[in-house]
Amino acid sequence: MHLAQERPAVELEGVIKAYPGFRLGPVSFKLEPGYVTAVVGPNGSGKSTLFRLMMNLARPDGGEVRVLGGYYPGGDYPGSEVEIKQKIGYVPERAVGHDDWTARELGRFYARWYPRWNGPLYRELLERFEIPHGRRFKRLSKGLQRRLSFALARSCEPELMLLDEPTDGVDPFARRAMVDEISAFMQSGERTVLFATHVMEEVSRLADYVVLLSAGEFLGFYEKDALLEEWRAFWVESPPDRAVPGVVSVEEAGPVRIVTRSPEETRAALEEARIELFRSEALQLEEILELLLRERRGAGSRV
Amino acid sequence: MSEGAGREVRLPIRLSMDDEEPMYRQIEEQLKGLILSGRLRPGTPLPSIRALARELSCSVITTRRAYQDLESAGFIRTRQGMRATVADVGEEERERYRREAVLEALRAAVEAGRQRGLSAEELRRMFEETLSELERKE
Repeated sequence: MHLAQERPAVELEGVIKAYPGFRLGPVSFKLEPGYVTAVVGPNGSGKSTLFRLMMNLARPDGGEVRVLGGYYPGGDYPGSEVEIKQKIGYVPERAVGHDDWTARELGRFYARWYPRWNGPLYRELLERFEIPHGRRFKRLSKGLQRRLSFALARSCEPELMLLDEPTDGVDPFARRAMVDEISAFMQSGERTVLFATHVMEEVSRLADYVVLLSAGEFLGFYEKDALLEEWRAFWVESPPDRAVPGVVSVEEAGPVRIVTRSPEETRAALEEARIELFRSEALQLEEILELLLRERRGAGSRV
Repeated sequence: MSEGAGREVRLPIRLSMDDEEPMYRQIEEQLKGLILSGRLRPGTPLPSIRALARELSCSVITTRRAYQDLESAGFIRTRQGMRATVADVGEEERERYRREAVLEALRAAVEAGRQRGLSAEELRRMFEETLSELERKE
């Protein structure tokens, strides 16, 4: 079902990028083929910079970026940059140089550059996403521009898709169609997707892993389901009068709600303290990520 | 072409996030139930691990684990590069499952009675009463 792969699709090792007033990193993670990873973080956390580094549109000030087994020029890399990029479908934050072109013309242009260009799929996607063939890019709505950029990236039949907020400004129906298409793209189990989004529904449906960024800081690379299973909320009759291991927060307005990162330990300690636990519930992914962000901010202010 | 978008087999499986049972175990249990009850016949193709993950909003790490466990327990078959299908578990196994499901429900009922302080005699009487009540209805 899943073939053993010899190398990760993307490897970041201690990557740092600094602009005046902003610094990203150090960031380190690996994307294995067969998995979808979501990049999540508030605005200005460095998501787009991360994508630009992987596309060699920005050069790291420190660390190493390795994509599809190759380093970009400046390092010891086996293929040329063009060869690497022919295997990447990229949806940038803002498409550059597309403005005066129509979907039809862009398709022809891409067909020349991408050896695995899939014309029939491109036409099917234009149809499915209701993108007009003959209108200039700049005359399309924001949502249509995103859909067209996605259709172009997907039709390259890439090994790796780098999608920087592909659904931004896209209506819920087209967004669902895009989620379905990404899922279909991943069917073979050998391709890789990294996508940035603010929509938790997309993270839930698509992501196997989550990269969390905040103000340029890399907070972690998480397995999504492990996060969901590791965090729990317990409703108890009275607040614990002693330290209980695993507890992240205790809300005491009305019934007491305890959030724990170590459910088993917390449960045992509550039992020992003879505090009745009357309801145990899962946390939404959104709440978990929020708590992880807050935890880091709290740690930062104490330093 | 885009492989099978929107034409995936769907399964009546739902994850209950508040359940403390891990997600892969919930998938295993429900799929096993569908197979043993005969609702999924031998040879029925199953959704890919990616499609099932999207349906259930979990990751392929979870769906792959569930499929692997079910395969080693003989409930499904997967072949390299092929769609997973329901295995033939045999009538004997299905019969055992039917009885086991009932036994489990009975055990839970007895346990509930005990916790509320009912005697064995009272429980026996309740069982008889319920049985004859249902027979009257039929």
